[in-house]
Amino acid sequence: MSRTTALRGPVTVWTVLKWTLAIAIAIVAVFPIWWMFNVVFSQPGEPVSLNPRLWPTSLSAGIDKIRMIFTETGYLGAYFISITYALLTIVGVLLIASLAAFEFSLFKFPGRRIMFGIVMLALMVPTAVTIIPTYLLTSRLGWLNTMQGLVVPGLASAFGLFMLVQFMRAVPKEMIEAARLDGAGHFQIYWHVALPLCSNAMITLAILTFIQTWGNYMWPLIIGTRTEMYTVGQVVGMFNSPLSHHTVDTVMTANLLAAIPPLLFFLIFQRKIVEGIAMSGTKG
Amino acid sequence: MAFIDISAVSKIFGNTRILENINLDIEHGQFVVFVGPSGCGKSTLLRMISGLEDVSAGTISIENEVVNDVEPALRGVAMVFQSYALYPHMTTFQNVSFGLRMAHKTAEFIAARVQQATGILQLDKLLERKPGQLSGGQKQRVAIGRAIVREPRVFLFDEPLSNLDAELRVQMRAELMDLHRRLGTTMIYVTHDQVEAMTLADKMVVMSGGRIQQAGAPLVLYDDPDNQFVAGFVGSPKMNFLPATLVGADATGVRLTGIGGGGNAVLPIVGITVAAGPVTIGIRPEHLRLVTEGATSPECLVLEGRVAIVEELGAESFVHLDLPDSTRVTLRAGRDAGRIGHTARVALDLERALLFAADGLRLRGRGLVQQ
Ligand SMILES: Nc1ncnc2c1ncn2[C@@H]1O[C@H](COP(=O)(O)OP(=O)(O)OP(=O)(O)O)[C@@H](O)[C@H]1O
Ligand SMILES: [Mg+2]
Repeated sequence: MSRTTALRGPVTVWTVLKWTLAIAIAIVAVFPIWWMFNVVFSQPGEPVSLNPRLWPTSLSAGIDKIRMIFTETGYLGAYFISITYALLTIVGVLLIASLAAFEFSLFKFPGRRIMFGIVMLALMVPTAVTIIPTYLLTSRLGWLNTMQGLVVPGLASAFGLFMLVQFMRAVPKEMIEAARLDGAGHFQIYWHVALPLCSNAMITLAILTFIQTWGNYMWPLIIGTRTEMYTVGQVVGMFNSPLSHHTVDTVMTANLLAAIPPLLFFLIFQRKIVEGIAMSGTKG
Repeated sequence: MAFIDISAVSKIFGNTRILENINLDIEHGQFVVFVGPSGCGKSTLLRMISGLEDVSAGTISIENEVVNDVEPALRGVAMVFQSYALYPHMTTFQNVSFGLRMAHKTAEFIAARVQQATGILQLDKLLERKPGQLSGGQKQRVAIGRAIVREPRVFLFDEPLSNLDAELRVQMRAELMDLHRRLGTTMIYVTHDQVEAMTLADKMVVMSGGRIQQAGAPLVLYDDPDNQFVAGFVGSPKMNFLPATLVGADATGVRLTGIGGGGNAVLPIVGITVAAGPVTIGIRPEHLRLVTEGATSPECLVLEGRVAIVEELGAESFVHLDLPDSTRVTLRAGRDAGRIGHTARVALDLERALLFAADGLRLRGRGLVQQ
């Protein structure tokens, strides 16, 4: 046996199977994304010709397509809407969920258990059930086709509250009491003690919220009927629709552009995301 | 009125009465130690003084001001917790200065105060470290530093040393005594370790079952306990308790029979008015001694027993004897005092023996308060 294998431990059938499976899953997951790159950065039609290619051949063709999409369609505006929507939702969800979690987990007040129970029930109700009443309410407020109409209904996150409550429960009571004796007010305890202590959970919640808002298709579709309120999801949906007169290349480019922010986001926060999902899974 | 006056205080959690009619005076600058078995309500009483726990009945006043409804931060008290409760995301400097920063003091003021406090506690070199990078003793000092910078009227400590190893505990104990001497501030300290209580306290408050059993100077409690609980709790090794039967009292003392399974004696305690019946004799290990065959002395009762255990400590040893009625007594003796399994004769110094009634209350002679 060679030295390296000896160091890494014996190669068993199990190891081989494990790696084979992992690689197979990785190929299945990565191939569509790779295929998008391939189609975008090639001359139109080339990858799907009689003589198909699995690798990109033309950088300039890709850049041309991207430029075309940004200048000749409402894509740039949709990017702006989507990013604003995601950022506002993240800030709002973090603020509201953490304030509520602070009260629910560290203080006693009348009706605490019942209120928390009601919020947790909301976790079990599918969005499809609440979407019509929410729409009616939003419309009555005159918020159709507005940013607040897009953002506000998503701010109260039962899941976010649930997750942060799990974390804040772990904050020692004595630490809160020490802060109280140190003269910190209620909000100061929240801001200086409780919040920093669950910064990890907050980052996780921010990431999960981003993924959710960026991928949210139904609500923006319902609330934003005017083109200037379209999110990236909707614009891409238009490119993809059967009646669109765009070619495969253009559609692929639109899809690629929509996938880039979450992809970058994932690459940057990869570690945190994995940790966070593991945490929110096991801690509950 | 005393510096801190606790008057008729009770605490009820739900339906359970945790503290019952607590009355206590604490003078300015005193080092007061609450001591008692686990669950007796020491922490609860301390937390009520701090304001973290509401007072169910009675009043607590500090410097003649009733503080029952005063916010914890405004009472001028600082507390050191058993778990230290340091803020893990802050450095030593930030931890110590937290209270001052919350009070919006100026940066120069904060720097000066923190420097003063950390100087006393030798934390100067650790200001930039976070709690995770400190040892137990250092964390403890940071927690004390956080209390000192606020210049409180009263320091409250809830078992601050129980997470430290034995050696460090002795060292920190000395440091605390030194700190108390230097600052001259009133300190209230909770522990369930009676040795710690004896060494630190000006005034020792022995609690059990939600009541103060006795409060006073440690040696007063040691020599003159009010009841059997205090007698047994204070002192190590514990006081010996021998069941006996009281048969009568006269001008020479009380006549007892059946001591340790057969001894008869007259305890030189006069002026007691109790009915005949079962009582308990309490006598400290240092007031017992081993005697040789045949020796007698008038004021001593001599009993015979089997040596069960001998604890050799070098300078002295503790000999545990089983008396005929299987009562175990402990005595303090010199080196090589006894052999396990052998019979030994032990003399009880009756002058120093205490008498307790069947309900555990002390039976004092010479016209002292009778209950
Ligand atoms: N928040 C609470 N709710 C109900 N009961 C409580 C509460 N806090 C304390 N108790 C009860 O009050 C009693 C006294 O508790 P306390 O913490 O004062 O004891 P202690 O003397 O400090 O004990 P230890 O030496 O173990 O710290 C215990 O029986 C405890 O169960
Ligand atoms: Mg306690």
